[in-house]
Amino acid sequence: MPGVLPPATAPWPERRRRALADPTMRAAVAKTTRNLAQGKASAYASYPPGEAMRVRAVTARRSALAHIDALLEELTGNVEAHGGYVVRAAGPADVGRYVLDIARRRGAERVVKSKSMATEEIALNEQLEAAGLRVRETDLGEYIIQLARERPSHILAPAAHKTRGQIEALFEREAARTGVTPPTCDATPELTAFARRQLREEFLAADVGITGGNFLVAETGTLVLITNEGNGRMTTSLPPVHIAVVGIDKVVATWADLAVLLQQAPLSGTGQLISTYTSFITGPRRPGELDGPEEFHLVLLDNGRHELLGTEYEDVLTCIRCGACLNVCPVFRTIGGQAYGSIYSGPIGVVLTPLLGGLDHAPELPKSACAMCHACRDACPMEIELPRYILKLRRTEIEKSMEPLTVRLTFELWGRLWASPAGYRWTARLARLGQRAFMRKGRLTKAPGLVGGWTATRDSPPVAKETFHEWWRRRKPGSLT
Amino acid sequence: MVAAAQAGVAHMSRTGVVDRLGQEGARGLVQEFMNNWVALSGDAWLALGGVDDVRRAIAEAAGAMVAERGPGSPRRVVAWATEELAPLDLPGLLTSLGFECVWGTDWSGGAGGEGDPSAAPTARPADAPGATAAALWQRRNLAATSDLGITTCSWAVAETGTIALYASPSAGRLPSLLPTAHVALVRPSQIVRSIPDGLRLLADHRAQRGGLPSAVNLVSGPSRTGDIEGDFAVGVHGPRRAGVIIGEW
Ligand code: SF4
Repeated sequence: MPGVLPPATAPWPERRRRALADPTMRAAVAKTTRNLAQGKASAYASYPPGEAMRVRAVTARRSALAHIDALLEELTGNVEAHGGYVVRAAGPADVGRYVLDIARRRGAERVVKSKSMATEEIALNEQLEAAGLRVRETDLGEYIIQLARERPSHILAPAAHKTRGQIEALFEREAARTGVTPPTCDATPELTAFARRQLREEFLAADVGITGGNFLVAETGTLVLITNEGNGRMTTSLPPVHIAVVGIDKVVATWADLAVLLQQAPLSGTGQLISTYTSFITGPRRPGELDGPEEFHLVLLDNGRHELLGTEYEDVLTCIRCGACLNVCPVFRTIGGQAYGSIYSGPIGVVLTPLLGGLDHAPELPKSACAMCHACRDACPMEIELPRYILKLRRTEIEKSMEPLTVRLTFELWGRLWASPAGYRWTARLARLGQRAFMRKGRLTKAPGLVGGWTATRDSPPVAKETFHEWWRRRKPGSLT
Repeated sequence: MVAAAQAGVAHMSRTGVVDRLGQEGARGLVQEFMNNWVALSGDAWLALGGVDDVRRAIAEAAGAMVAERGPGSPRRVVAWATEELAPLDLPGLLTSLGFECVWGTDWSGGAGGEGDPSAAPTARPADAPGATAAALWQRRNLAATSDLGITTCSWAVAETGTIALYASPSAGRLPSLLPTAHVALVRPSQIVRSIPDGLRLLADHRAQRGGLPSAVNLVSGPSRTGDIEGDFAVGVHGPRRAGVIIGEW
């Protein structure tokens, strides 16, 4: 079964237009991506073991997918042996129902969350809020965009597009709403201190903590959670109930596998050798322990993942959400994450959004949001063939939209003509004659028919006055002119 | 969760102490660990002269990392209740420095005899009984209002500037998380080269005890964020100051 993703915020032309018309956001995204890409390059350069570990990490992730069903079973057994609960969720509604059941049983009202792509993918906040729960995102960037009611502009830096002035204004509004002292200025320490005070209250009052997970280790039933701020530790240490919602693709077999994987996300993502906090959580608080949650629940989310196993797209499930492909993508660097209209943006978003949400979900992404430069393929620590996947998806999409007979016949004819040298030469000559009517200042600006789709948004260079073949035939042997 | 970099301070003024580390390899690891911890904007002290030296370093760290609260309101400290810390007599030391010791330090035995820390995982624990729940609640609020948390660690990693904290009945999750500052005591012999080396020690622990701790936290410097215009900031959630004292006692 394919999964379900939240609907796009607006139609593609509108999202694209809005992004291109926002110079502040574009400058911020350009700066963030440049810094992160440089950070990654210098991190691997300064840390030679990183590359050797990366190569082994790719193997570890792929082999985990090959044995995923057995690993998930082993994982489940081990989490349960430590007193945790495990449940499989096919899609968004299953997770919502499960979490709400727990909340009802516990009489819970307040939920704190640590940044998680899986829960954004299933719009869990909206589901819980609709049922009357109060949900607070606690990663500083997520907190900011939750207050602004926006979607993230980058996987790792959700609020990269927000200026400090905008953040101060959001915090002032929040201070007025909750009746607390607002930040006194827009300096980073002051804004950070405000968020600390507000979110500390939330942590201490929360009934349920919800996190995602970076990895799951089958052999011990351990959840691995990586953060820099410490909100992951807060969410898993303070509320009496901890629920982790994790994609089934996050499972690895052993600690030896985890050992080579653990540093790849920070190395490729932020250029750190390791994140500030890495937590290994194996079940809830044990008898006699002074702190930690009474209940630990692991929700294993499918949402279209299982269906990709065994297909040509399987390797996309080895993604560790490091964001490296976003940072090098010329399209992402130009339009930022929000224009993708999906929770997942950048090259991985172009692939993952239609693969998880169904091919109809975001056909414009593979069709339009890729320049085929292959930079993402080189950047991806898991060696995922993103450009090849994008091309495949594009082809599938185009084939579908080629239904009208005339369009199909045109391509058919074009294909036949260009299959023979004579046909190719003949069309070149024809185009040279025909293009005169559509040229302005030596560029093709408004072409008819199919080519019009191309020239509607950009100019095209004209067909050359003399083709290579023609030049070759008339040139004197040995001469270069 | 983006992070940026800014350096902290190393306190290595005590003359000659490095020589006590003996062989070259151990000294290299200690030096590398301290450098990397400080590069992550943590604070580091070297105190290899025995119990008194370590106590002196704790006093110095407490003074450097925790601001005064003003007259009539003593600074608060929480600590692990591990046997390892007993010889340092933290309650005595910190009370003499004007700190109020709220838990850990006044919680001899720590576990309250509720269970064996090293026991193999048991079945689902029932909801905590009322008395325990109230005690937990109170303890967590005290931790949240503390200025300083003191812990040891299970191992540390030179290459990355990382310490590993295992949860147990006497070693809570909160003393290293909620107070404004956290300081961890690290023995030179606990420092290994890489993260995989450290994870091998965790595997040994698992083999010996028949399972992993309920929570293991690897900590590399103070809580950090770069979420406001990519600007580096510490302490958005966890400790604003993170210190290590490398010592023998
Ligand atoms: S596709 Fe590769 S580069 Fe992109 S987020 Fe996933 S692991 Fe990172």
